[in-house]
Amino acid sequence: MEVGLRTAGKSVGRPVRKHDGDAYLTANATYTGDIVLPGTVYAALVRAPLAHALIRSVSTAAAEGATGVIAVVTGEDMIPWCDEIPHGLDAGHLGGHHSAVFPLAVEKVVYAGEPIAAVVATSEADAHAACLMVEVDYEPLPVLLDVESALAADAPILYPAWAENVLIEGHVGNDDFAEVARTAPHVLEGELRTHRGTAAPMEPRTYLADWDAGRQHLTLYASTQNPHVLRTVLAAAMRLREDQIHVVAPKVGGSFGLKMYGSREDFIAPVLARMVGRPVSWVEERAASLLPAAREQVLSYRVAFDDDGGLLALDVEALTDHGAAAPTHGWAMAYVGALSTGLGYAIEHCHVHYRVVVTNKAPWSGTKPFGKDGATLLLERIMERVAAATGVDAGTVRRRNFVAPSAFPYRHTSGLELDSGDYAAALDQTLEILSHERLRADQARLRAQGRYLGIGLGFELMPESADIPGGFVAAYDTSTVRMSPSGRVSVLTGVTSPGTGSDTGICQLVADELGVALDTVSVVQGDTDTCPYGFGNISSRSLVTGGNAAVLAARDVADKIRAAARALLRADYDEPVLIEDGIARLTRDPSRSVSVVEAARAVYTRSYELELDVEPHLESTRTYRPSNIREVPDALGRMQTYTTYPYAVHASVVEVDVETGVVTLLRHVATHDCGTVVNPLMVDGQVTGGVVMGLGAAFSEELVFDDDGIPLTTGFKTYLLPRAVDVPRVELGHLCTPAPGTPLGAKGVGEAGFAGALAAAFNAVNDAVAPLGARLDRTPLSPIAIMRALREARR
Amino acid sequence: MIPTRFEYVAPRTAADVVAALDGESRLLAGGTWVVPEMGRAESRPRRVVDLRRAGLATISVEGSRLRLGAMCTYSDLLSSEDVTRHAPLLRTMASGVTGGSALRNQATIGGSVAAARPQSDVPATLVALRADAVVAGPAGSRRVPTAELFLGAGRTTLAVDEVITGFDLPSERMSGHGYVKLKRGGSSWPIVTAAALLRLDDDGRCETAHLVLGGVEAVPMTVDLTIMLGRPLGDQELDVAAARTVAALSAPWTDVLAPGDYRAAVAAPAARRALAMARANVGVTEGERHGRRPDCP
Ligand SMILES: Cc1cc2nc3c(=O)[nH]c(=O)nc-3n(C[C@H](O)[C@H](O)[C@H](O)COP(=O)(O)OP(=O)(O)OC[C@H]3O[C@@H](n4cnc5c(N)ncnc54)[C@H](O)[C@@H]3O)c2cc1C
Repeated sequence: MEVGLRTAGKSVGRPVRKHDGDAYLTANATYTGDIVLPGTVYAALVRAPLAHALIRSVSTAAAEGATGVIAVVTGEDMIPWCDEIPHGLDAGHLGGHHSAVFPLAVEKVVYAGEPIAAVVATSEADAHAACLMVEVDYEPLPVLLDVESALAADAPILYPAWAENVLIEGHVGNDDFAEVARTAPHVLEGELRTHRGTAAPMEPRTYLADWDAGRQHLTLYASTQNPHVLRTVLAAAMRLREDQIHVVAPKVGGSFGLKMYGSREDFIAPVLARMVGRPVSWVEERAASLLPAAREQVLSYRVAFDDDGGLLALDVEALTDHGAAAPTHGWAMAYVGALSTGLGYAIEHCHVHYRVVVTNKAPWSGTKPFGKDGATLLLERIMERVAAATGVDAGTVRRRNFVAPSAFPYRHTSGLELDSGDYAAALDQTLEILSHERLRADQARLRAQGRYLGIGLGFELMPESADIPGGFVAAYDTSTVRMSPSGRVSVLTGVTSPGTGSDTGICQLVADELGVALDTVSVVQGDTDTCPYGFGNISSRSLVTGGNAAVLAARDVADKIRAAARALLRADYDEPVLIEDGIARLTRDPSRSVSVVEAARAVYTRSYELELDVEPHLESTRTYRPSNIREVPDALGRMQTYTTYPYAVHASVVEVDVETGVVTLLRHVATHDCGTVVNPLMVDGQVTGGVVMGLGAAFSEELVFDDDGIPLTTGFKTYLLPRAVDVPRVELGHLCTPAPGTPLGAKGVGEAGFAGALAAAFNAVNDAVAPLGARLDRTPLSPIAIMRALREARR
Repeated sequence: MIPTRFEYVAPRTAADVVAALDGESRLLAGGTWVVPEMGRAESRPRRVVDLRRAGLATISVEGSRLRLGAMCTYSDLLSSEDVTRHAPLLRTMASGVTGGSALRNQATIGGSVAAARPQSDVPATLVALRADAVVAGPAGSRRVPTAELFLGAGRTTLAVDEVITGFDLPSERMSGHGYVKLKRGGSSWPIVTAAALLRLDDDGRCETAHLVLGGVEAVPMTVDLTIMLGRPLGDQELDVAAARTVAALSAPWTDVLAPGDYRAAVAAPAARRALAMARANVGVTEGERHGRRPDCP
């Protein structure tokens, strides 16, 4: 499907403010938690205080008698009401193991904080109070808290039916490292460890479920990324028809992947509402919202390279500490990490063996940037080590290895096919913004004074808009554009916005296609009864898929307006009509015109003046399905499952206080390319936000557990998100290589910034402490880790 | 949202506060610590005794002593000229507290001291200032040097039916002060704090020197600097003080944000920097001090 590139219009390409920004800023936006239905009751969860234990018995009698309590529900009680949760991507169907997960734990708990019972009461406080009265008899089991212990020969098996603690494993690329290495001039090995972090949206998961017993119908307000798919899986597990469920996603206060459909938490309120027959509100506590994990891997690598720093072969053994098994897509981050390892560098032999290991921690849950962060950090670390080993400058090493612009389309060893870009140009621009040469001179001068500045680079290449064959993650999506008799335009989309502003971008695209003012257009999202079926926001897809679909639909409506204008102006059927500024005029005689509003009204009210083959309505529903996806594996089992390939080159400048290990971030530069920019404000916001999130992962955000697996980072005074004072203004550079495979040329920007910032910061700190002989091979770069590294170097 | 039920009283005098206290009651000051704790059901008192009506938020100067009500908030400290004049260290400390204006307007010094959290800013600062806590109990009022108040993490010598009504401290008008705080970022609890006070005689020799570190051990750690008295304050003397800091360490504190070995390793540099800042501050007038905010990392 070719839609054709477009250039900046009246709205597109301009820094338009969010169409609903005022509502957010003035606290008038309606979030799920703002909605109250008559008779609403409140749920609270009893959570496991142990990381691994058998549930011997649950005694609910005391809680049932407590003030305000309507029901106390155990895992067993819920089974007749809810089957096991459908998997987003079942490892059991892909050569790994299946796990049966229910909303509440049954028989056994596998992580601390796992929900084992629920209380429904007339107030939130009473529900929580009664939770304290539920008595659970546990039989503690040995806990596994890291991959090494979980893989030990004598390790207890978390899921006995599997007979091992590996959920799934696989290979990406050819395992031919040894052969290449035999004749390679240099071989390096190493290990890189990333730590456990999480998504941490401000608004935790929040639901309000209303079961109408008379109609046998469920309405669910949910802070979710994928209302339609959520309805599909709810219906399946609750044995309802999809038309018995209406899911509405009001404004979402951030998600970053945490609110992707299909977690056990999605089922708590709906099932309880059906069981008690009243609207049930459930808001996840902050500590629980910090349970799901985003990363924690041990990446062992071997790399072969030549004297110029050209990479000949790469071999990676990637161990993922997944935590407990889950029905969500979390584990797939390990697979995507493997797919994108080395991406953007022309490495002929690139092999990753990934193993997803289960431990007694809360499970991985899909989080921006979905496993690509570990892969990015690894490659960028390797580039630095290769530079150090060969004596070639680190930028030059990258330049020598980048896939050249002339090489596109370029098939990576994993099967992903890069379409466009100019990675070296992004590096050049970043170095220029940085004044790299001068900075290096400053660094040398300051070192002589005992001050340790570090400069680090990070190249990120993010495959975006994923497609999972057979799964509810698709590269395509659908939008409806509808114009009313008064010329107002509604866009109904299958995609949603978690607060990122993709909806504003869609308004801009549609306004330009229809030649109307931006405030004529509104967007309706997140409602399964009104919007076309779609896959919501994930994988940086909302604008690329929903936006392009809306463009196609808007063009249909514009054609209808043109037909009506011709009829009203008594012009020939093939007379070209230009729509601009709300006026449709004949291209050849611009003095003859009607307003878009008149034309719209005529479609509805004077249909017999239209040509008979023009149906008298102003509505079109179109799907945009990118043409570059290949779901059918090739002979080597490789697929091409991503639509666009945005990238960035980052540079971080830090100063390390070598007496305290405290790092001051002095500068962060990122040159980004997401193809055609629909709204520079939104793009800059996404990249900046991603950078800050990546810096948080690099330095301070860390999920910490005690020796028994109890989470210790239960709030934002211990799970340390970066604050404005911690981060310098992010200096942005821009490149634009439109994506050839997509209409508009826009590439995803929703995951931009994170991985490259993490890598650049990592390299910068290593650069700073290198003269002292110190080296860090793990994240986070906390003052504690830095002091340890310095101490080891002194030994 | 507090799940458990409790009785709430807000007495108007310290005596009535004391009368309302028993083993199952909890004092409520600004509530920034108590309320979240009750929300998480970690604390389930039968009775909450609110101090807000007991009139304990005054600041006054009597002779050469500064009196602070226990209910003074960080904002009260920041806006008080008496504090700026007689205990600028408190002002510097208060200006580096996180949580924004909501927290600064709400959290009290009495609450911070009574909570006795090793990583808090207030306890070590008050110890450095040699403040006495004024404590009301069933038998009347007693004065306790703050240095003797702290028994361990979250533990003080206060009995369940005692309340801190205020603090009484000598004026430090003539001293230079230094305050250094190491953290893991803007949102982090303090990891290590160092509060220093130095006074020089007319010949530039050290007349008094006080150095107290917070976050290093379970209770504020006082470093004895008698050795510095009568000596000029050169870099060498600061090195000596840093060495004494290391020597003073016995059982470093560990929490989720930093282990004891880290705190032990950074105690000396923090101490040295606080003293260097105090040295640079000696003799600086209030006006100047106001203009150039000492920088605390
Ligand atoms: C967002 C946030 C940021 C913070 N940032 C910092 C920071 O940067 N540095 C820092 O040091 N601290 C910080 N704190 C902690 C804060 O300073 C303390 O929570 C506060 O000082 C406690 O005072 P309060 O009046 O709120 O005490 P409350 O919560 O009311 O009480 C605390 C404890 O003291 C008892 N108590 C209160 N008053 C008395 C009294 N007069 N006599 C006897 N017992 C009493 C209470 O019963 C309770 O046990 C922060 C807290 C928050 C929530």
